[in-house]
Amino acid sequence: MTKDESSNTEANPLREGLTTRALPQPCSIVIFGATGDLTHRKLIPALYNLAADGELPPSTNVIGFARRPKTDDEFRGELVETTQKFSRQKVRDEVWKTFAAALFYHQSEFEDEAGYQSLAKRLDQLNAEHNTRGNRLFYFAAAPEQFEPILKNLKAAGLNQGANGGWARVIIEKPFGRDLASARELNRVVSRSFSENQTFRIDHFLGKETAQNILVLRFANSIFEPIWNARYIDHMQITAAETLGVEARGGYYETAGALRDMVQNHILQLLCLVAMEAPTDLRADSIRDEKVKIVRSLRRYDDEQAGRFVVRGQYGKGAIKGEDVPAYREEERVNPKSETETYAALRLLIDNWRWSEVPIYVRVGKRLPKSATEISVHFKKAPMVLFNRESTVLDQNVLVIRIQPDEGISLRMMSKIPGTSLRIEPVKMDFHYGTSFGKPSPEAYERLLLDAMSGDATLFARHDEVEEAWAFVDTIEQAWGEKKAQPLTFYPAGSWGPEEADELLARDGRSWRRL
Amino acid sequence: MTETAETFSLGAPVEIDQIDRELKKIWADGDSAMARASLMNLAVYNEAPDSLQRSTELISKITENHACRALVIAADPSAKVDKVEAWISAHCHVGGGAKQICSEQISFRLEGTKLLTSILFSHLDSDLPLYLWWQSDLPERIDPQLWNWVDRLIFDSRAWNDFEAQMQLAEKARSEAQQRQMVLCDLNWTRLTPFRLAFAQFFDHSASHRHFDKIENVSLHFGHGCRSTALLFIGWIGAQLGWEVVGGNGPVQMKNLAGKAVRAELLEEGEAPLQSFIAGTRELEFRVRRAACGDLVEVSRGKPGEQGAHQLLPGDDGDLATLVSEELVRGGERRVYQRAVEKMRKLL
Repeated sequence: MTKDESSNTEANPLREGLTTRALPQPCSIVIFGATGDLTHRKLIPALYNLAADGELPPSTNVIGFARRPKTDDEFRGELVETTQKFSRQKVRDEVWKTFAAALFYHQSEFEDEAGYQSLAKRLDQLNAEHNTRGNRLFYFAAAPEQFEPILKNLKAAGLNQGANGGWARVIIEKPFGRDLASARELNRVVSRSFSENQTFRIDHFLGKETAQNILVLRFANSIFEPIWNARYIDHMQITAAETLGVEARGGYYETAGALRDMVQNHILQLLCLVAMEAPTDLRADSIRDEKVKIVRSLRRYDDEQAGRFVVRGQYGKGAIKGEDVPAYREEERVNPKSETETYAALRLLIDNWRWSEVPIYVRVGKRLPKSATEISVHFKKAPMVLFNRESTVLDQNVLVIRIQPDEGISLRMMSKIPGTSLRIEPVKMDFHYGTSFGKPSPEAYERLLLDAMSGDATLFARHDEVEEAWAFVDTIEQAWGEKKAQPLTFYPAGSWGPEEADELLARDGRSWRRL
Repeated sequence: MTETAETFSLGAPVEIDQIDRELKKIWADGDSAMARASLMNLAVYNEAPDSLQRSTELISKITENHACRALVIAADPSAKVDKVEAWISAHCHVGGGAKQICSEQISFRLEGTKLLTSILFSHLDSDLPLYLWWQSDLPERIDPQLWNWVDRLIFDSRAWNDFEAQMQLAEKARSEAQQRQMVLCDLNWTRLTPFRLAFAQFFDHSASHRHFDKIENVSLHFGHGCRSTALLFIGWIGAQLGWEVVGGNGPVQMKNLAGKAVRAELLEEGEAPLQSFIAGTRELEFRVRRAACGDLVEVSRGKPGEQGAHQLLPGDDGDLATLVSEELVRGGERRVYQRAVEKMRKLL
């Protein structure tokens, strides 16, 4: 077990009044799976943007670790191309030159112990040349089955500790296990090499500006908190819809499905933010303590309830934006008789005082007509007096928090239509990030990488959050696995999911929000 | 990146009492891809005769990042008769999506001094803060009611001939604003941000704070006409590190918290407001300099005379609209600025 020491506690007087946050200590960032998509599309562009914005500490260097033989220069050449393509801001030659000089490639098999010994030497050398203060950040962008050998070999090479009093941290990409047992086992494996405060389980949804704004919206505005409870809220809906199919991820998706791929992590994280109690302060563990209470309070389903309250669907042939698309079972690396769900709809209940009997409807799916992630909070209707008579049935007030795209918040309320008669219609008050703040938000990975370098785990999942989420999801997976719950249903690509999902709400006299 | 989709015309002339109605028409006639947005009232005041066109150009750039209602005023306070003419226009920029984000501008040509306050008050977008960018010298006398409505008074002290006299007027304006706390926003201070960030980052780790008391000399090269910018920078370091000014005329002499002398050398050369800055101890130099490309700053740290590895950080391109945009994203009070000004006054 090692300790994570961040001794950078005394405030820098020259930072006072400057809006940019203090730079973290420099470090060496080792990316496992450096030739993969995530590195090219997200990680290197994010690091480049941090460098261009002056937020990457000087002397920080990045070492790509992967199997294929490659020189540093070849690696840099590949990265400049993809960074030009995927970077939030234009790649400038001068900035890239300085940034690229700190990019290196280390070739090794993940299972090869010698490769880690040579990595350790290389890191020591870089530390001596660039003064990274012995700090090391390991990013696991490799396939999950590689995590264990990587962790074991890092420890064997002594890389689970910083050098000369520096720190070592590890960022682990999802999926963090595929059920409670495997997540526990992975936590155990990780904890043999890295302590909890060295471990950063990334969920990029939490790095998004709007997700971070949920707590600000709730706790920095006094108008919402008094009505944020079962007394005033009728129900909530959380939607994560994608137009994309499984693309090249058929192999992975076959072992996961929508519930594991989206609900266990992203959706439950959003649910926690929207439902948690106010933390005592903004320290990482204060926030995570409150989040984990929500997951723990989720009502667990027995087989019969899983059948009633969870709908699973799979897309068939259809059309997206006028283009014909194949059925899931016809996708590459997908079993033609696959029973994997590409859509899930759930009716959740949080058994605590604040949310007693308030249903939270969740739907996630691929090949839906629109890509959109949002949370909608549906308030109870006004009493049946004055305007709310049989002749004019009022809609609910709905507060929508749009996570992506077109991040923002809108509020639907009732208004009189101009005219001599009394007609009432819903109108929408809309706040768009893009309209109000011209400056583009940093990408989620920029924020999260910087937080990990600073040792701030607020936006990362703690081991108990992950395990509680799996414990909840497992009850549903078990019911499905034992075929006691509802069978798989099908929906045409380009539709809003199976009819059974509509019935899930219709039974309660409700319907999905139109997106 | 946004793309500007219009020219810098003042727009359509309107009768003063028809401004609101005509503005509504603009939005009613616009197509559905136009979204009107506003986060603030940004009033720009200038006494130069040709300033309307120039200010409109600036507003066009500023609205790329800051949706606002812009109130552009070209004033001739010496005119004997009070008179006002007005125009309305919109600045639309295409953002990431298909929608054009549009800000509205009302331009006024104002003669005399009496109408300023009423013109401003009657055309504010309600509930939004008022930022007043005063591009001319601050006046000796002005309707004190005005300051009560201003949330931020933006000015550029680099343009002042008499820093002390103008600063006193700004401070007087602030003290007259009794209903709200008016914040003084000096663009000359905003101009320092890239150099301040570049110098500050050397000391983010507390282990490096031991160097503060070892700094023996600082050297700052500044552009022509930018002495106040340079003094403000030195004033900032002095104020934040607790240095005392012991001599202001000729070479600047200061004393650090440990009572040791710190010598400041200021050299005027080139055009950019700040060219380079070096803070030296016996063993180390902390260097910040404007990179050759102009809009980046280069930082390095090393033994005196040794060229250490450098890093590039964001700078500024000297563009006034960019500077104002930077200023507009900053909130809160300006306590650090006020401390820097106090220190700077001793160096004037």
